[in-house]
Amino acid sequence: MSLRLASARAIATAVAAALLVAVSGCSTPPPSAPSLMVVTVPDDAATLEAAVDAVAPGGMILLKAGVYFEQVVVDKPDVTIRGLDRNATIIDGEAIRPYGIVGIADGVRIENLTVRNTTFYGVLVTGLHDENGPSAHNGSGYTTLDPEAFPPLQRFSINYVTAYNNGLYGIYAFDAQHGSITNSFASGSADSGFYVGQCPDCDILVSGNVAENNAVGFENANASLSLTVVGNRFSNNRVGMTLTSNYLEAFTPQSANVVAGNVLSGNTSSTSPAQESGGYGIGLGISGGQSNVVANNRIEGNPRAGVVLANTEDLPALDNVFSGNAFSANGVDLANVSAVRTPASGNCVEGETLPTTVPEQLLADCASGIEQPAIGDGALPGGSAPAGISFLEVPPPADQPTMPNPTRAPSVLPDTVERPLADDVSLPPADLFAELTRRP
Amino acid sequence: MSTTSGGASGLTRRTALIGGAAVLGASAAGVGVAIGVRAELGQQSSDTDAHGEHQAGIARPATPQKSGLISVFDFVEAPSASTVRESLRVLSAAITACTSSTEFDPLVTPDGPADLTVTIGIGPRVVAAIDPALPGATPLPSFASDELIGESDNGGDLLVAVYATDPDVLQAVTRRVARDLANVLPRWQQAGQRGVGEGTIVRNPLGHKDGIIVPRGAEELAENVWIGGGVLAGGTMCVIRRLRLRVDSFRSEPVATQEAIIGRHKIDGSPLSGGGPDAEVDVRAKTASGEFVIPARAHVRAAHPSFTGSALMLRRGYAYDNGVVVLPDGTSVADEGLLFICFQHDLDTFIKTQRRIDEVDDLRQYMTTTASASFLVLPGFSATQPLGTALFA
Repeated sequence: MSLRLASARAIATAVAAALLVAVSGCSTPPPSAPSLMVVTVPDDAATLEAAVDAVAPGGMILLKAGVYFEQVVVDKPDVTIRGLDRNATIIDGEAIRPYGIVGIADGVRIENLTVRNTTFYGVLVTGLHDENGPSAHNGSGYTTLDPEAFPPLQRFSINYVTAYNNGLYGIYAFDAQHGSITNSFASGSADSGFYVGQCPDCDILVSGNVAENNAVGFENANASLSLTVVGNRFSNNRVGMTLTSNYLEAFTPQSANVVAGNVLSGNTSSTSPAQESGGYGIGLGISGGQSNVVANNRIEGNPRAGVVLANTEDLPALDNVFSGNAFSANGVDLANVSAVRTPASGNCVEGETLPTTVPEQLLADCASGIEQPAIGDGALPGGSAPAGISFLEVPPPADQPTMPNPTRAPSVLPDTVERPLADDVSLPPADLFAELTRRP
Repeated sequence: MSTTSGGASGLTRRTALIGGAAVLGASAAGVGVAIGVRAELGQQSSDTDAHGEHQAGIARPATPQKSGLISVFDFVEAPSASTVRESLRVLSAAITACTSSTEFDPLVTPDGPADLTVTIGIGPRVVAAIDPALPGATPLPSFASDELIGESDNGGDLLVAVYATDPDVLQAVTRRVARDLANVLPRWQQAGQRGVGEGTIVRNPLGHKDGIIVPRGAEELAENVWIGGGVLAGGTMCVIRRLRLRVDSFRSEPVATQEAIIGRHKIDGSPLSGGGPDAEVDVRAKTASGEFVIPARAHVRAAHPSFTGSALMLRRGYAYDNGVVVLPDGTSVADEGLLFICFQHDLDTFIKTQRRIDEVDDLRQYMTTTASASFLVLPGFSATQPLGTALFA
């Protein structure tokens, strides 16, 4: 999250604005104020950037079928950018552009299109940006998000989006609140298919999505409290999903998500990039995550472990509660690999059938504050990970369902998101969304 | 050069002898300094001034002197706060005298103090005697394989760190500075030297550039190194670790393997993640197939402050070579490596980083820690206000 360039650009912009005033005086009207409520590309505007220039706040950009070799920042409030055909409206980064669509204004909707072959991320919504767009992931990590300087983006929706073969993340939200990622698909990401990060009180719903052939299906770093991940299929990645505390980013520790009704099975992809730390064969990894509710998920056929508990430096895996999950055919259902210096505690499994665990006594006493025994990482079954392949070489996904009525005008997004409670979500069938994958 | 308890008593005896001679020689100060020699001794300057807001030998001079001698002393009996106060007064006066261009003792520094600096720190037992709530009042925790460190090479009450271009003066200055202390005995000692470098950057015994990412300039030093407020404002926390390195073993690896272990290119020091020698390490950079460009267990990744949310350390280490030593099991090894010295405003910066290194650093397998200590380095002093003035006010 380098902000090195931000201040220099701000100064340059201020100087340019001052010059403009000096030259033009006050008699000239502002050039072509945006006024169009609907901008169709390429009919009304030849490029995505021209369409954003032309659209009015609250308006909609409609993209006809075609391959767009562009990237674009949506910087006007309550704008919808939507494809007319999810599978044929394609934004292609050609492995040279860092992103496809980035929303930096409140109320942004990104819908019914495909983004592929970007070097960083296909779709991003964030409050962290400068005059030239997002400033995530172009720096060293020595500077982190300053939430005072960059307040979180408010209200967003990413719906019916396909993101494949992107260098870091397919669909990514950080420093953003009150939004949803739904009915979308991500594959071939060298980091994670979906990523929600850095929101201390997110109010974000992630539901009805499919991730496969990614290093990690869904990743959360420091997204806490009201993040609800329900009814997704995160199967056939290297790691299905992770809940992670991460000092590289703001708002440690991660806590209090609801993860319910998901299928986190068979994460054994060999047609994907490698997970950076050699992760493989894992359904759900919790690293320094705390007080998460993991309920009614199907976690099957992960050859290392269904769920792995670990620490992040001095942040323990703490007080996570598992209930009603269907475990089967995992190397082990629940493993604790926390370091001796940062022991896990308070991680409990509720219900009649206890999962298999390593060490065996992991669940012997899950009272809060009691240290739970752990094993070394090397002791997990499942063998080593297969070599990763380039994110550009991952086979493209099958066609995905298209949005109903894509020409219908969108409504303004609400201030808060309706999110189901864990108890309202039932155990999904093993073949949830399997028809949308390359390998059902 | 590594001092065992036997060597320690020898040092004490000689300290007394040289101290006696120094009294006679004091009036000869400033006489007969050979100008030709002085030119190679390094310059005395405001950067080496013993007096100031901070002690010398930490951030100034910005390019550490080529030679250093770390000496750690113990009080014979657990000291009272008043004993500590008096000791600091004595040390302050001795440092002022040793580094003065007009009052120096030519039997200690025959050619003048040149770029001599002396830095004083107090160990956990001493800090606790003043106030157990002060930072540095508890010893460092034990890190991986620290149980192999000999008792006499672990911890200690008093740090006297002497640096100069001329290695010949280091022992004499150390003895002079410690001469008037009552009831202290040497605990351990280590000399070291730095190669040719630029600022804090110098090649370590493995042949890799070291000290690249450190706080520089007043603002970064204030943010990362100096204690910010209270009676210790302007002080810092120092950690010293003597790291025996398996230099032959490391250097016999293919260069590409060495670079993967360090995370930087060997010759110019540039990070494997790209950019020139001054580029910041990009710990997130990945290959197209998802692997880290800086390997997952590379040293620069393990030690990178972002993973622990830590401040930056100011590292100012010296290479050392004690020749061949015989281990307790009868085998002999080359006792060479790095005398790691770092400064930070909070010991947690070091502790969190060392924990990571213990767990995820491939360089660790080439290191054996043979001495370890932490010290509270008091704020700077002046001719009229000795070390610890604010602390004892």
